[in-house]
Amino acid sequence: MENNKESKTILELKNVTKRFAGLVAVKDLSLKMKERTIHSLIGPNGAGKSTVINMITGLLPLTDGEIYHRDTKISGMKAYQIAQTRCSRTFQNLKLYRSMTVKENIMTGMMMDMHQGFLPFMFDFKKARQEDKAMNEKADLILKFIGLQELSNEYPANMPYGKQKLTELARSLMLEPSLLFLDEPAAGLNPSERVEFVDIIMKVFESGIDIFLIEHNMDVIMNISDDITVINFGSKIAEGTPEQIQEDPLVIEAYLGDRYKKEHGKGGRKCLK
Amino acid sequence: MQVLIQLLITGIAMGFIYALVAIEYTIIWNATGLLNFSHDKFILFGAYMFAGTYVLSLGLPPVIAVLCTIITMFLFGIVSAFVIFNPLSRLSTNLFAVIGTVILGRIITEAVRLIWGPLPFSLDGFLKGSYKIGSVVVSRSHVIIILVCTLITVSLQLFFKFTKTGKAMRCVSENKTAASLMGVNVSINIALTVGISAVICAIIGILVVPIFNVELQMSSMIGLKGFASGVIGGFGHLPGAILGGILLGVVEIFGSMIIPSVYKDCLSFILLIIFLLIKPSGLLRDRK
Repeated sequence: MENNKESKTILELKNVTKRFAGLVAVKDLSLKMKERTIHSLIGPNGAGKSTVINMITGLLPLTDGEIYHRDTKISGMKAYQIAQTRCSRTFQNLKLYRSMTVKENIMTGMMMDMHQGFLPFMFDFKKARQEDKAMNEKADLILKFIGLQELSNEYPANMPYGKQKLTELARSLMLEPSLLFLDEPAAGLNPSERVEFVDIIMKVFESGIDIFLIEHNMDVIMNISDDITVINFGSKIAEGTPEQIQEDPLVIEAYLGDRYKKEHGKGGRKCLK
Repeated sequence: MQVLIQLLITGIAMGFIYALVAIEYTIIWNATGLLNFSHDKFILFGAYMFAGTYVLSLGLPPVIAVLCTIITMFLFGIVSAFVIFNPLSRLSTNLFAVIGTVILGRIITEAVRLIWGPLPFSLDGFLKGSYKIGSVVVSRSHVIIILVCTLITVSLQLFFKFTKTGKAMRCVSENKTAASLMGVNVSINIALTVGISAVICAIIGILVVPIFNVELQMSSMIGLKGFASGVIGGFGHLPGAILGGILLGVVEIFGSMIIPSVYKDCLSFILLIIFLLIKPSGLLRDRK
C-alpha cells in the first residue's frame, strides 16, 4: 500500500521523554502514525524502542510529553484503560499463561467483552453457556486465521517458539484491536518461521488493523513498512519511507552501515519469499 | 468398623478445613505473589466477629450473623488489599512484604484482644449434636463442615473457570502485565481476591467455633496446617490444595490411632518436611 498523505493520524507522540533516575531513555520524541499503515520503529540495541512501546501501552509512565490514540489522550491512562481503547500488543519476551492451553490463552483476549458474573452464571446458566459458545466460536475463527487450529488444546511450553509467538499474536487479535503493537515479532524465529510470521502480519494488516512494529530484522522492516522512525540514544534521528531511510546518512552511520545499503536494494512492501 | 468410618469422617472434615486454608493461601499467593502469614488472624477475626459481636452482643440468629460476618469480612478484605496487600506486592523484595503480613497479623490479634478481651468463650448449642447413620454416629459440626467446604470448593472452581472475574483472577495470578493489557484492572482484581480470601477465612472461623473455644490461639495451628496442605498438594495449585488438606486431615486422625494423639500435630509437620525434602513441588504441581 502506498502512503496516503491525506489519511488520518491514528497514533501521535508529542515530545515524549522518559527518564530513569539520571538516565534519559527517550528524549523529546515526537512521531505521527497514519491510519492504514504499518509504521516501524527501529534503532540500535538500547536505543529506547521497547521503552517507547511500553509508554504507549501504559506499562511505563511518561516523564514528559503526551500520547494520543486517534483523538483520545492515552498518556496518563492505566494499561487496562489503554487496552479498552482497542490497542493491543505482543512482547519480545513472551507473556503467555503457561497453565492454559492455546485456546484458553486466546480466549483471555476477550476478557473485556465478557459479561459472565457469578450470580448470572449460577442462575442463568443458559445465557452463560451462550456467551461461552460465542467466545469459543470467535477463538476458533482466530485460530484458523492464524493457522493454529491443530494446536488449540496444546500447552505453550510444549510448542516451538514460533508457534508460541503466534499464540500471543492470536490472543492480542481477540481484543479486536484497531492498532496492534508488535515488539520484535521475528526475534528468535528461524527463516521459515519468519516468512510465515511476516505473511500473517500482512494478513492481519489487510484485515483492517494498523500495525506499529519494532523489529531488528531489516529484511522484515524494509519489506513490510510504509513509514519508519529511527531512534538512537532515545532521540529521533530520521523518519520516512523505507527508501528514504536507506538513503539517510545518519541512519547508515548509526544503524544500518554501508554494507547494508550495498547488499540490499531499495525497500518497499514486497514478499519476503 | 464404625470407629474407622467415624475417624475417616472426622479426618475428612478437618482435612477440608485445612484445604480451605490452603486455598485461601493459594489464591492470595497467585494474585499478589505474597505469602499471607496473617491469614490465620483473618480466621480469628472472623470467628470473633461472628460469635462475639453478631451472635452474643447483638443477639442475631446464626444465619443472619453468618451473612453479616461474610459481608463485614469481605469489606475488611477489600480495605486490607488497598491499604496493605497492593502496596506490599509492589515492594522490590518479598521479604519486606512477608514481614508486613506478619505484622498485620499481630495488629489483628491485638485488636481482637482489645475489642473482645483475652478470655475464651464458646457458643452454646451452635452446630452441636450428632447424626446417627446406621450404627455410625457422626458429629453435626463435621457434617456441616464437609458440606459447606465442598460447596465452597466447587463454587470456587466454577467461579475461576466460568466467570469473567474468576478468569481475570487466573490471568492476574499468572501474568499481571499480560492481564492488564487484556483490559483487566489488576488492582481491583487483587482487592476482590483478598476480599474473597477474607470471606473464606470468616467461614473457616465460623465452622471451627463448635470445635475449639473462641480464643486468641484458636486459628494458629489451622493456619500452619493449611500452609502444610498447600505445600503437600502443590503450592499455588487449587486442586492440589484440596488434596493436600484432605490427605493431611486423614493421616493426622489415623496417625493418632498409632501414636499418642498429643503428637498428631508433629505428624503433620513431619509429613510437610518429608514433602519439602522429597517432592517439594507437591503432589499435583508438576503434572502439566
